[in-house]
Amino acid sequence: MLPDELLETLNDQFPCRELQIRRLSALYLPPFPSPRTLIVHGLEATGKSSIVKGVLETSSLPHAIISSRECLTGRHLFERTVASCLDALDAHSGYKIDRKPYCRCENLNALVIHLRGMLEGRERFVLVFDGIDSQREAPPTLLPALARFGEMIPNLSIVMIVTVPHPRYFYQSGIPYLHFPPYTRDESIRILSRNPPQIFLNAPEPALEYTPDLAEEDNLWVWSRFLAAVWDALAKNAARDLIGFRSLAEKLWRPFVQPIVDGTFGTRDFSRLMVHRRGLFQSEECLIDSIVPRSPILPPTSTTTPKTGPSILHDLPYYSKYLLCAAYLASHNPARTDSLYFMQTSTSRRKKRGGGAPKTRVSKTPKARKIPRHLLSPSPFPLDRLLAIFRAILPDPVPQTADIYTQIATLGSIRLLVRTGMADVLDAGGKWRVTFGWEYAAAVGRSVGFEIGEFLAGGVEG
Amino acid sequence: MEQKCYIYSPDDSDERASKRRRIACAAGWSLREQLYGEFWAPLEHRIQTQSTLEEADSTTLEKIIKFVSGAVVAPDRQEAVIPTGLILAGSSIASHRSFFDRLGRKIVLDTGSTFVLLTSGECLNLKALVKSLIKKLTSRVGGNDDEEDEEDEEDENHTGNVSRIGPKLRDYDLVRLQEWYSKTKVDSIVVAIQDSEAFDFSVLAEMAELLSSWMDRLPFLLLFGIATSSESFQSNLSGAALRLLKGEEFNVTQADDIFEKIFCTTVGSPEVSLYLGPDLSRRLVDRQKDHVQSVQDFSDAVKYAYMCHFYANPLSVFLSQSLAFGEMPHDVWEATRNLPSFRRWVNTLLEDGRAKEVRRLLESDRYLYDNIKHHIASGQTAMFKLVSATSVLAAIRVIVQKVPHVPRSSLYIRSTSGELNGSPLIREMLLMLSKVSSDTFSSVLTSMELLQNSYVPIDIAVYRRELDALIKRNPNSTPLRSQHDVKNNSLRTTIVAQKVQLSKHKSTLSELDSSYSELVRRFHDDVENYFEETLIDPRDLFLSEILLYDLKSPLSEVFAPKPRFAIERALSSPHDYLGCDCCSSSEGALSGTQPVTAILYQLYLESGSIINVNDLWMAFHAIIGEENDESESNAMALFEQALANLKFLGLVKESKRKADHISKTTWKGL
Repeated sequence: MLPDELLETLNDQFPCRELQIRRLSALYLPPFPSPRTLIVHGLEATGKSSIVKGVLETSSLPHAIISSRECLTGRHLFERTVASCLDALDAHSGYKIDRKPYCRCENLNALVIHLRGMLEGRERFVLVFDGIDSQREAPPTLLPALARFGEMIPNLSIVMIVTVPHPRYFYQSGIPYLHFPPYTRDESIRILSRNPPQIFLNAPEPALEYTPDLAEEDNLWVWSRFLAAVWDALAKNAARDLIGFRSLAEKLWRPFVQPIVDGTFGTRDFSRLMVHRRGLFQSEECLIDSIVPRSPILPPTSTTTPKTGPSILHDLPYYSKYLLCAAYLASHNPARTDSLYFMQTSTSRRKKRGGGAPKTRVSKTPKARKIPRHLLSPSPFPLDRLLAIFRAILPDPVPQTADIYTQIATLGSIRLLVRTGMADVLDAGGKWRVTFGWEYAAAVGRSVGFEIGEFLAGGVEG
Repeated sequence: MEQKCYIYSPDDSDERASKRRRIACAAGWSLREQLYGEFWAPLEHRIQTQSTLEEADSTTLEKIIKFVSGAVVAPDRQEAVIPTGLILAGSSIASHRSFFDRLGRKIVLDTGSTFVLLTSGECLNLKALVKSLIKKLTSRVGGNDDEEDEEDEEDENHTGNVSRIGPKLRDYDLVRLQEWYSKTKVDSIVVAIQDSEAFDFSVLAEMAELLSSWMDRLPFLLLFGIATSSESFQSNLSGAALRLLKGEEFNVTQADDIFEKIFCTTVGSPEVSLYLGPDLSRRLVDRQKDHVQSVQDFSDAVKYAYMCHFYANPLSVFLSQSLAFGEMPHDVWEATRNLPSFRRWVNTLLEDGRAKEVRRLLESDRYLYDNIKHHIASGQTAMFKLVSATSVLAAIRVIVQKVPHVPRSSLYIRSTSGELNGSPLIREMLLMLSKVSSDTFSSVLTSMELLQNSYVPIDIAVYRRELDALIKRNPNSTPLRSQHDVKNNSLRTTIVAQKVQLSKHKSTLSELDSSYSELVRRFHDDVENYFEETLIDPRDLFLSEILLYDLKSPLSEVFAPKPRFAIERALSSPHDYLGCDCCSSSEGALSGTQPVTAILYQLYLESGSIINVNDLWMAFHAIIGEENDESESNAMALFEQALANLKFLGLVKESKRKADHISKTTWKGL
């Protein structure tokens, strides 16, 4: 067992993980034997990697940690392993090992040989594979082979950190497991309350007798209550892991304390503040991840604002827009209805809405409910159908110039249209598909004065 | 054995097939080439600088630079979040390259960061992406950095001191980058993704994950070039990847705004020496709006127009200012006398009864030369005045409110086609001008003062002085009103014998107002006369063929070819191309004398989407057989060849649904 004061530091550094720290430190204590293979598993953000690292560092065992996230191929992983083992041994023993024999490491066999060679006659060495279950381009035998490394190399201990352990990974029974359960509500709140953010970004004026100590106390007081509220309202269902919870809380924090900063409420008026800012917890906008941070805006108290369509900031050329409309129609209309909707001769287009005549008897539910076509996923279409629809919906004829085909290629390269199937580019029967949805298509159509809904089979509802 | 290939060895005799040149008078070609250089170079320079200024949109660039330099974080970062800029660069993906090149140069110059540009072509998967990232970064500094590829077999033996180096690093190992970084110590590594949409989004997500795991050692910063919108871009990335990226979005100026500006300062500017005609300009503008939005494309088109003018029109030598009579090629005189504008001019001379002059023009080259010289100069002045008037008109229209906005390019097109004089546009503008109040009038004067390099005979300074004097005398702060302003009239209703009489009454104008009205009226008359004088139809000028280039067909043939139309036409009416006697009688009908592929294609056009091959063969045989009386096996061979040709062209393919059938994949006219 590690000395108590070291355990104390670790526990202080990683709260709510006493059990796991105690077990790990018992397993990896120098004079006593360690398990040859240990599987550490737990969901994302449960402290697996940091705690393993912390324990190994305090236990002063020679060890190397290899993160699979940073290794692009299996071979990369092996060479990384060899290099970090050599580095760790160099650092531990204090003299340089001749690295010439370890130049190449193509496969698992070579890795065993190298590890055996460099660990010959040394004390126990711990090798940690972090996230080994998501290794890219891994050889199929990677996990079972690693699990047996300890049998072949007597003084090697392997720790594998995985998300979900599957017994079939290792083809072996009797491997010890260490589970890192997700943090509970109280634990999450306790961890995050350790460093509360500021309420007042600017230091309060000294005349107000509001000392930094007082401010700190208030910060903690509001923050911990705020965390509980966030957890109960949103995080419980949508952001259960620590990182998600933290980022969510940080996103909501500034708008939440704004009334305190403005002076509307005192720092201890938590319940009134809560009622005042309840809109923050009701809207789920902040749960949507986005690169550009959007400020969580309180929804107006009465009704929701009308949703604006997706903004088309950059205008496409005129014919590109029609091409997109035609592509959308080709993707969503069944081909057999084309003559109905696009024939130039049929002047009175049938505009069926809702897929049929108005029903007289409301009580009788139709046998098969029809899904509006724009809610279905787009189906592939041949290029000529797109061009035919394009010419049918254009108000004026356009010559058959290469410009049209260039635009299709451009739309393809910005992935508004995609080729389905990885067929030959020159293949005559190649099919295409649209990648945008109804809102975008309707907005594009409207910008050139084309109402796409009139041509959509079955009409548009809602 | 069939010979698969053979070596083509033409005999050494230098007898080249004599090509019939269609250039009637090729004289002065080198002169014209030189002239082209002189004329095009300043314009090209102007397009380049202008597009650089406008498109790069210095404010956007500044913002990005600020973002890049602001995102430099402390070396001991705990957060694995990569600062990310989303650059909405517009749908003209052809111009993205130049934008990112400029951005890269600026970032390297203005900040302590380094810049890498990645495109989708070189990043098919994560490995290739990281490889090219490392290669681009490390090769920039050292140059002699580890160049060796995966072949690490041999150097093991040669290098004796390898023992300390240990396992060689993969060329996609970011440790290499770390070593490089420890040497260079840049503030941040800016990785720009030029065409984000063309990437496989899983690659982008993996890249985000990989780079974020290195964020504690390497200061990455990502810039994504986006053609559609940031919403659609983000909706394609996974939530986990999005959580690793945080940043801002930047908007690059819209392509059509830039185009309008560039058009005004280049083609539509009074200073250019060769003017583009209305039809051609309209074609150029429409093409930008309808098909492509790229400045480069516009520049190419204008360049081609210049080339066409100078290379294909021998008379363009007259545009040279310094050429003396003796240096002129000989055949230009005869060519000039055949010009339509020459004939028109001569006719007017004859109508005026100046037959002697006409005779001299026809007989003396020297006299013709002097006249041409004179007319070129006067024609250029007239064109200069015309285009200046267009810019004056545009400037006034912008100031005077309540008129619908007409883009400058369309004004240019109208003016060069001679439509503008007395058009509703002018009348409306003049009407509004007579009603302006003094503050608007002042800004009109200001904008006219600002017009540089334009022909404005009106003395603005005089008006300015008088206006200033009037304003100074104006005691109250309200602007002076013109008497033509409708607001000064009031309607008065009087009821006389149960009839309503409406009568207009001028509200009394102060003495100041009336003198102001007088001023405005004078200005209005001046402007009216000015437009009257300058807005001519340039095509009526003598030698307008030289001053104005307005041929559409060379440009549309080169820039808007019709590949599909050409193939379809060749197959459906081969006579258009062959011009033979045998087919001309049966115009548009099938006949056995036509090429077999064409016959089969016309049969193909008549059929439905799935074609029975036997039916096709029967029809084909009927046509072939009736004229040529070929044997069936011969006809079958021809049929198979024709069908193979159609398949090669991608017009048919085997049908999976029905045996013995082929399916039609293309329709004519699309």
